[in-house]
Amino acid sequence: MTKPRPMQLVTLALLVGGMSASLLLAQGKTFKVGVPLPLTGAEAKFGEMEKQAYEMAVNEINAKGGVKGTNLVLDIQDSGGKPETATAIVEKFITIDKDPIVVGEYSSQCSYAVAGVAEKYKVPYLVVTGAADKITQQGWKYVYRLNPPSTLYNQGLYGLWGTVGKPKSIALLYENTDFGTSTSRAMKEYCEANGIKVVLDEGYQAGGVDFKPILQKVKSLRPDVIYMVSYLMDASLLMRQSKELDINPQAFIGGAAGFTLPEFLQNAADASEDALSGTLWTPQVKYPGAKAFFDNFKAKYSKDPDYHGAEAYAAAYVLADTLKRAKTWTPEDLRAALAATNMMTAFGPVKFISWGKFTNQNRMETLVLQVQNKKFETVYPPDAASAKAIYPVPHWRDRK
Amino acid sequence: MSRKNLIGLLPIAAVLLIPLLTQNPYLLHMFILSLMWIVLGQSWNLLGGYTGQISYGHAAFFGVGAYTAGIMVKSGLSASTAWWGLLLGGLMAALVAAAIGWICFRLRGSYFSLSVLALSEVLRIVAVNWNRLTNGAEGILLIPAFNTKTYYYYIAFGLAAVNLGVIRWVMHTKPGYYFLAIREDQDCAESLGIDTTKFKLLSLLISAFFTGAAGAFYMNYMGFIDPGIVFSLPDISIMVILVTMLGGAATKWGPAVGAVIFILVSEIFRVWVGSGHLLFFGVLIIAIIIYFPNGIVGTLADRRARRRRARGAEAVA
Amino acid sequence: MSPQVAGQLELLGQVLISGVLLGGLYALIGLGMSLIMGVMKIINLAHGELMMVAMYITFWAFTLAKIDPYASLLIVFPLMFLLGVGVQKFLLSPVMEADTVLPQGQVLLTVGLGLVLSNLALLLFTANYRSVPVSYASKTIYWDLKLGGQTISLSFSYPFLIAFCIAGVLGASLFIFLAKTDTGRMIRATAQDKRAAALMGINTKRITYITFGIGAALVGAAGALLDPVYYLYPQIGGQFTSKAFVITILGGLGDIPGAVLGGLVLGLAESLGSVYISLGYKDAFGFIIFVLVLIFMPRGLLGRGRA
Repeated sequence: MTKPRPMQLVTLALLVGGMSASLLLAQGKTFKVGVPLPLTGAEAKFGEMEKQAYEMAVNEINAKGGVKGTNLVLDIQDSGGKPETATAIVEKFITIDKDPIVVGEYSSQCSYAVAGVAEKYKVPYLVVTGAADKITQQGWKYVYRLNPPSTLYNQGLYGLWGTVGKPKSIALLYENTDFGTSTSRAMKEYCEANGIKVVLDEGYQAGGVDFKPILQKVKSLRPDVIYMVSYLMDASLLMRQSKELDINPQAFIGGAAGFTLPEFLQNAADASEDALSGTLWTPQVKYPGAKAFFDNFKAKYSKDPDYHGAEAYAAAYVLADTLKRAKTWTPEDLRAALAATNMMTAFGPVKFISWGKFTNQNRMETLVLQVQNKKFETVYPPDAASAKAIYPVPHWRDRK
Repeated sequence: MSRKNLIGLLPIAAVLLIPLLTQNPYLLHMFILSLMWIVLGQSWNLLGGYTGQISYGHAAFFGVGAYTAGIMVKSGLSASTAWWGLLLGGLMAALVAAAIGWICFRLRGSYFSLSVLALSEVLRIVAVNWNRLTNGAEGILLIPAFNTKTYYYYIAFGLAAVNLGVIRWVMHTKPGYYFLAIREDQDCAESLGIDTTKFKLLSLLISAFFTGAAGAFYMNYMGFIDPGIVFSLPDISIMVILVTMLGGAATKWGPAVGAVIFILVSEIFRVWVGSGHLLFFGVLIIAIIIYFPNGIVGTLADRRARRRRARGAEAVA
Repeated sequence: MSPQVAGQLELLGQVLISGVLLGGLYALIGLGMSLIMGVMKIINLAHGELMMVAMYITFWAFTLAKIDPYASLLIVFPLMFLLGVGVQKFLLSPVMEADTVLPQGQVLLTVGLGLVLSNLALLLFTANYRSVPVSYASKTIYWDLKLGGQTISLSFSYPFLIAFCIAGVLGASLFIFLAKTDTGRMIRATAQDKRAAALMGINTKRITYITFGIGAALVGAAGALLDPVYYLYPQIGGQFTSKAFVITILGGLGDIPGAVLGGLVLGLAESLGSVYISLGYKDAFGFIIFVLVLIFMPRGLLGRGRA
């Protein structure tokens, strides 16, 4: 066979090209921080949003002179959402690049895996998005989490119920992932402790096309509230199909993630109207820089950021603040500086405390948003609210 | 020992010495994963390459082995250091394989392949839903017992060596020849009096045992599993076929070559190419299949054989 | 009749409707694979990714030129046909010729192809979730039944109904094409016995190109029909490939009415199973029926497939 091998040559050329390009890193004093993220795979959309938020923050920080005259450089690597890839990436950061600190990851599994690695090597790790409670319940000394754990995701909701009245019954529908099961379990425990009857508690495989059978079952049980937890676009289909089936509970409530995406509004269209969701951040919060972050991100990337973007943006600022206060940039000193963090960011206040089984965990209020007139409005807590909650929500057939 | 055997042992000796040359955890991690994939590839090859039964669901055995090890530790039955976790993982996988084989071996060709795939997916869905046993979607987390990677390296090496030895030995015995006969023409073999079902099952049990042991190793080494990882259709079942076939099915070193290339190349692509790395990987797969139809080792061996024959013909002419 | 019984009847009715309508769409997804597997015995693991490509074509046609998804079928069908022919001609046929120990090369090639297609889409179109928000996306037809003093309200999703009808039309057309046209007969002959067909003067190579093209066009049509009721991102293909297998086997390789029945059976199994047995195990029901049919009815539910 004497076939010419164009594909091999092209591949080789691109490999060499890629290698040279990465070697041309900025010269001069820089501090490199490694950030694993899912840039491919099912979670790529969130990985991309966080990447853009990190980059925006770092550009702002460097434009103001960096940290003590040193520019920050991001080394964002694709974990594909797989824990073993994420651990390989972080092992490389720590043992070959000798990074003294690690930031990032998106899903609970990957964050958890990375946390284990960081703890083993005694390198501080800032968890930004992974929500599963257990990440900061291990008594680890080097793992610090910026975002609230999943049990706290619904705190805002409980507060809202305090003002509009608790439901008497609830149906729980959640996707069969770490995030879905742990967030919904937190809600279930709250309901059982507060006399709210759980009429349905079912997990589903994400990515389904037709939820009508199970939604019809929910309809036949007549719960006061339907609570759903979905990462991806199942949220949109659930709402659309609920509308098609003319299901009319007091409220549809989402457990963040899919229910706070701008694409949720796009895909669900008028079926998303009046849907509520717990959330960690909205552009209406009164924290300094929150609105500016939202507007700048939207201007730069032509799409709305949600709380994931805000988390990443804040994480970069927390990192810069830690670097500024640390005595030296060794793992131990950085850990000490990180532990002492007490600052306000566009995402909210950041201070790592311990309570219950949690250690090194930031504790923040969570909020509730509602889709009103095709926009996300914050409806709780009152000091961040941009609109009043519509609760109970109107029947589908009574709407415009 | 003949010179050829000695040269053949050199790479094995080199591999044995690696942890003494470098303690870098990242590099060791790459080697350990390579060794694990060598076990996976060789085990699949026994059933697929040598016996001709193409399984699209080997993740079933990997997952069963991983969860056996995980559940044992979670329920307090054993510490993660227990070496017999690997043994039990392998045995459970073999047990499940016996059931799967009993169901699927009455089917041939693609039907067999797809039925194993279907059952592997069913197992994955069970693992997601049976919360009490497997922790469902939240997965099982263990703290790895050993702090340095060296121990894991030698465990993986040992597993690979035993795996290689057993497969080599089997292929030189009568059952091994029966496997080949079944691959070439099952009906013919049956008519010659070979109990094809019994030998297909034997091949499957050995294959599943080692795959399960590798799964148990994965649990202990990585410290975290969930159904989506260890029962994964694209990442385990399809990948193991890819690894074996890209290296060369039914060759001695094909699966090993394939495993090393798969681990190293995907990592190199991921690091150097960045966001397009999977695209390159896909192109590479297509390129290898077109230019090396029998896998890298297989096609190179074919070419060498053809050249030798051509030379032989010249000598005679 | 008591309200509880009415509620249960309404549930059953809705579940059956969902199962059938979804089944129609599933059938279209499976038809292409059944044809390809029946004729060429290729397991096409890029089937879902081909559907994804068609979904992006439909999306861009709608977003850039406001072309309705049902109208863009006229674009999608020929484009996907050409893509299928190209894949078979330049990638799969050369590999099928080679003399290998195991014939799995073609399957792995489709794996590589799938990776290339989904990651190309990721690079070109980013990971953002796309929607095709046509005005009738959530349009529903309500049917209120009065039984025993109670009203049972059943809802039919308009886009699903359309998809069901178009799937039926395409299925019937395919059936007639295979039965009555020369090319169709050549395809069936090649499927029955490739060598004999070649001996009869059929250009079997060209037939494989056409077959793969038709298979790709069919799953592409399914994608265009799915766009209004679902969402789109590069990794969407994988689960639909699995469903296509199940449907192909249920129907029997190469049997068109069988594939349609297979789609309906899968749709109903998922609907009924998710409500009356367990939602979490929904996807397992299809696989279990799949294995049972494989063992007890290897020629498919209608007994007319290729064994």
